Amino acid sequence: MRAVVKSGVGVFTPQGFLDGNSSSTFISMEDIEATIKLNADMILVSLKKVIFFNRNGLDAFVKMFAKIRTAHHTTVGFCDYDYKKFQAINKFYKNELNFCLFQSQEIASLFASSFKNQNKNILLFSPDKSQSAAMAIELHDNGHNPIIAQTQEEFNIKIKAQNAYDIIIKDTYLGQMGQKVATRVTGNAIIYSVSSFLDAEIGNTFNISYHNNSLNVGFRLFIFEAYKVVSMNVHALNFFSKLASSGAEYNATICFVGLTFEKTPLSFKETLEDSGIMFFNQMDDILKNKELLEDLGASSAANVKTKRVLNKVLVTELPNFINATVRTIEMMTNAKAVKQSVNINKIEILEKENKIASSIGFYGDIDGMIILIFPTGIAKKACELLIGEQTDDEEMILDTLAELVNIVGGKVKTLLHDEGVNVDITLPRTYQSIDALLEVAQEKKGVQVELSFNNDKFLFFLTR
Amino acid sequence: MITQDKIDGFIRKIPPSPKILKVTLMFLEKGELVKAAQIAKEDLALSAYLRVLVNKPIYGFKNQVNDISQIFGILGVARSQQAVYNYMITLLSPDKWKLFKLNKTSFENLQADLSANWHKILVYLNINDKDIGSSITLLPASVIVSEALFREHMDEVSLLRSVHAIDLNTILVRLCSIDLFDICEQISIKWEMSDNVALIIQASSGIKPTNDVTLNNLGKWMHLLLFYTLSKPNFIEAGLNDFIDFQIDYAQDVYDDFSKVMDL
Repeated sequence: MRAVVKSGVGVFTPQGFLDGNSSSTFISMEDIEATIKLNADMILVSLKKVIFFNRNGLDAFVKMFAKIRTAHHTTVGFCDYDYKKFQAINKFYKNELNFCLFQSQEIASLFASSFKNQNKNILLFSPDKSQSAAMAIELHDNGHNPIIAQTQEEFNIKIKAQNAYDIIIKDTYLGQMGQKVATRVTGNAIIYSVSSFLDAEIGNTFNISYHNNSLNVGFRLFIFEAYKVVSMNVHALNFFSKLASSGAEYNATICFVGLTFEKTPLSFKETLEDSGIMFFNQMDDILKNKELLEDLGASSAANVKTKRVLNKVLVTELPNFINATVRTIEMMTNAKAVKQSVNINKIEILEKENKIASSIGFYGDIDGMIILIFPTGIAKKACELLIGEQTDDEEMILDTLAELVNIVGGKVKTLLHDEGVNVDITLPRTYQSIDALLEVAQEKKGVQVELSFNNDKFLFFLTR
Repeated sequence: MITQDKIDGFIRKIPPSPKILKVTLMFLEKGELVKAAQIAKEDLALSAYLRVLVNKPIYGFKNQVNDISQIFGILGVARSQQAVYNYMITLLSPDKWKLFKLNKTSFENLQADLSANWHKILVYLNINDKDIGSSITLLPASVIVSEALFREHMDEVSLLRSVHAIDLNTILVRLCSIDLFDICEQISIKWEMSDNVALIIQASSGIKPTNDVTLNNLGKWMHLLLFYTLSKPNFIEAGLNDFIDFQIDYAQDVYDDFSKVMDL
């Protein structure tokens, strides 16, 4: 079974009846490994569509969870259950509950390393005080505002206050969490949260692939939030120095915020500064200083390294890229596409209104970026297949568009693989406006193909 | 991906029920088992199918049964009709499966599992109705329809499902405003099956309850039975577990009784 991976959370959704015989058939270690490769740092089994399970049925998953957590530092557990199922799991694993239980996927995503929705007001309750505290700390670390109800009565009263909370957490349990370095995006900066003692383990817990992808799609400012770092050793020092050196190729800047040197040799700071890493006391010292942000490169996501031109290999593969895009949009809209014009030049968008865009990068044997510019109408139509209804919710459309671009990327990867060209794809990126896209792409030269779907114009741009 | 034309083409290609089967069913309808068996014997493929079907372990017969008259005699009118309909459905199945990892035997096992357990359920519910007994035979047709429509689009489906949890039935509805169970209904009409068969099958999709309380209730049982069957390792491996969406809330209120019947 394949998992659906969204925002770093991979979810398997078996249906029906889980017992000792069926569970191991539903999900294999290979399935989980494949999910991890898609940059999932949380692996969950959804019980939403499971009507019956027994201890043997869950055991098969729990054993796999243990292996995966040890090997990949991944958060693992179950999600999407009702109170009855929650009670049953607690009964089965009374004193050995070392995986997580999230009442819903939405709640799980609050605890994921690559979370994106922040500043939520969250009411939470657990009869276990240590659990309440653990959840509150995690949520706070992830940029939310947790409010703990101390008792069931208090929870019942608080829950009545309509619209006071964005999310309510109950029947949730934090087992051993993954130890991946938490990542979030603020504007055009990527923020990594690190804590405690930094040693060689940082090489395992830091998602280097995500970092490289971010460089590839144009991020230039990377901030390590290090308020809770006690100390670091020479292995961590080497890691950060190398990270800074590799980022220099992209003109990227790495900063540390809140790192104290009480227990870390001051010479480490000098070494890191020599590598180009900068130090600040508070996050706001960077994020609220527009001039500084501009200097550090976060006001624009333009990818300096990629002042590169199209090469022959990329142009040779152009039909594959267009084919993948056209087939995906045709699949999503059930409409035929007609190619109208092809130009090699800087991206040119005459009408900027009522358009949204998305991009996905690829790297490996060849590298580059596909940019798709949709009239809002086509974007909505294409998203209907995934959403199931017409919507004007911009956030939902952009989210779904990211999924669509992911499909295009997946298709490109497959088509190229068939020809012996191996590439990996980056995370998709969406742009609410054409201006936001142009910040990244206006100086890039590439192939611009205009396509028409039922008389709606759609733009495809391939660049490096 | 899939268009209305393609669906229309599939429906057009559904063959009318063969004459021998029509006559066999006519005699079964009248309760004339001996005459039905005599006609059925003329169709060697039907005879062979019936022998394989009733001798599967799930039917629970201690001794091998080979004679068609004996088979009809043991099964009785309702289950004989069900067995003939099961054979008719196999006429639609592909020679080689591509989307699902099935073959002739595993598809017949699916039919046998569903039919035998449906019989248990009807006994529990004290329902003795030939058409209701036969309604289960149309359920595996939804698997055949999925195979026929999606087999050339496996990569697209796979990519779509890698980013979004979406079942084949939902994809079909969103693309063409018609679902697998509507197509199954078309099959039942073409083969002149009773109207109730189509109603139960539609209800068993879990997304189209019927106003008839009894038939709707049977739809719930059938929906649950389908997922009980599709949770077995061989059918999970065949890729059948998530071809349609399990509507857990729809089937919830018959679950306790279901677990009694199935000894869960």
